[in-house]
Amino acid sequence: MMQWIKIGFRNLVKNRRRSLATLIAIAIGFCAVGLFRGYTAATFDGLRRSAIRGEGLGHLTIYRQGWLENGRSDTKKFLLSPSEIEKILKIAKSDPHVQLATPQLHVAGLVSNGRTSHIFLAKGVVPADFRTITGGLSARRGLKGTDLSSNTPYGVLLARDLAGQLNLPPKSDGVIMATTLDGQMNALDIQVRGTYDTGTAATNDKYILLPYRFAQMLYDTKRADCIVLLLDDWQATTAIRHLLAGQLAAAGLHCEIRSWDQLSVFYQKVKNMFDMIFLFIFLIVLVIVVMSTINTMGMSVMERTREIGTLRALGLKRRGVCLLFAIEGAILGLLGCLGGVILNGAFWAAIKIAAPSYIPPGVSTPVPLTVELLPRHMLTLALFLTLFSMAAAIWPARRAARLSMVEALGHV
Amino acid sequence: MLISMQQVSKTYAMGETTVYALDHIDLAVDKGEFVGVWGPSGSGKTTLLNLIGAIDNPTSGAVTVNDCNLDDCTDNRASELRNRFIGFVFQHYNLVPVLSAVENVMLPLQICGVSTAEARRRAMDRLEIVGLAAQARRRPDRMSGGQQQRVAVARALIADPPLVIADEPTANLDSETALHLISLMRKINKEQGTTFVFSTHDQRLLAQVQRRIRLQDGRIQPDMEVA
Repeated sequence: MMQWIKIGFRNLVKNRRRSLATLIAIAIGFCAVGLFRGYTAATFDGLRRSAIRGEGLGHLTIYRQGWLENGRSDTKKFLLSPSEIEKILKIAKSDPHVQLATPQLHVAGLVSNGRTSHIFLAKGVVPADFRTITGGLSARRGLKGTDLSSNTPYGVLLARDLAGQLNLPPKSDGVIMATTLDGQMNALDIQVRGTYDTGTAATNDKYILLPYRFAQMLYDTKRADCIVLLLDDWQATTAIRHLLAGQLAAAGLHCEIRSWDQLSVFYQKVKNMFDMIFLFIFLIVLVIVVMSTINTMGMSVMERTREIGTLRALGLKRRGVCLLFAIEGAILGLLGCLGGVILNGAFWAAIKIAAPSYIPPGVSTPVPLTVELLPRHMLTLALFLTLFSMAAAIWPARRAARLSMVEALGHV
Repeated sequence: MLISMQQVSKTYAMGETTVYALDHIDLAVDKGEFVGVWGPSGSGKTTLLNLIGAIDNPTSGAVTVNDCNLDDCTDNRASELRNRFIGFVFQHYNLVPVLSAVENVMLPLQICGVSTAEARRRAMDRLEIVGLAAQARRRPDRMSGGQQQRVAVARALIADPPLVIADEPTANLDSETALHLISLMRKINKEQGTTFVFSTHDQRLLAQVQRRIRLQDGRIQPDMEVA
């Protein structure tokens, strides 16, 4: 085998200009795919943290069976009762991976400053629990004023644009109105404790955060629509989800559990879009790699036809000829990928040092451009491109191996 | 008997005409013979050697080499036969340009899976025989034509084949080098009993051979035994 590797390598060196052009094509392709994958990985990571922590979705959310489909049309029927809430919390908290389990109630209605009113969507949360969920990301919410507190049950946070439209700055008073579960109109005074940035322009003029008990008062109920769980490791999400589903069913609770990625529509859309772009880029790179290798190896095969005839005359079988060129293609692919790794590392370091930022569509503040270095992904990519490079070399080699030896030996 | 050819023909189609490169040839070569094939250009010398060497297939007739009927051979079996039982020396040397002399000589053994160390040891032995041990690490482009052809002879001998086929091995060499090469082949033939079948135009070289086969228009003319 070493002899064939030696022949392959030396032939690449012999035709160094041609080999170099192919190596550069592979390296640039590898780098492009590697950087984009690193960028999407960083973006997905950021979106995941933003969904779990920033949006306060936690890792898992438990609903009564049917809530997601019919909850809005028959809210009362699909809310979790106090006894169900208690049971679910007890089961969830018994799992060592569950750091936090907290009930939430989402309400909707009108918010008014006394002169004008605006529709709102509000999330009723246990203030201390919500702070735990949002964790370090709470600082990114651009909070002006003070955060929610259980000590001020009527104190709420208004999304930035909503507060602006209603002219309700921190420490100002307003009124929220909604229909209770029994169909009565209910109005409660609020005090704006602060304003915050939801992160997206589409929700900044609608969202309100208010204490859980206050949301219950607005709907005149002791119920919740969901229980949010925070886990110690996001990668345990699927396993815990299955485990909890079994435990809740065993306890006679008819619930459905959704993970953060199922609930975050934005994450799903962005992920699907990036996955599609990645596939597109990868296919382009693959075509470039395969075509470059076929071109290089095709020329090499043509120039070495007599050598192939000689090797066949010496007893090399047809598959041996294919192997010889496959090895050469693999070396080409491998060296190209090695160049790609170096190029990828250099760009990664440059981005790390320059730390550029940009404003993505639908986001209200600049975000840093981050690219992750993914050794495992690079290894897989190198393996993939090397295999394709190898396969691309076999194609012209097969033709050469099938040439009649008399023709090959007489080739000039 | 090492080589047997019975009623062997090889034809090529040229438009609507069929051209006989070899025309119903019968030939037998025993082990240890030193045979020179001669004749004018286009007489069928190379075709004859290609058929004996399992490089080409006859249009009709039977070729047997070392008790193996080449008609019955698959491509893989023919490759094994060439690798183990036949050594080749070509007019244009046909060395692999990116390999050194010793690496070129090692090739047939490495094709059949002999370890690198063993192949190198045996290759150095053969280079010693052809007087090129000192040039073992040189690549073909740094060697003269005569040296390259001696490397090719060493390569042909590496697997100790009972048969060596040489197609015009001296055509690109000057007279002195050509005679030296033929002497070397004759020496190996006598000392190791290796059968040599080679083609040439050169009458001076034919004076060195034990048996001459004259080809004309694809047919063998009467043999001439040389003392």
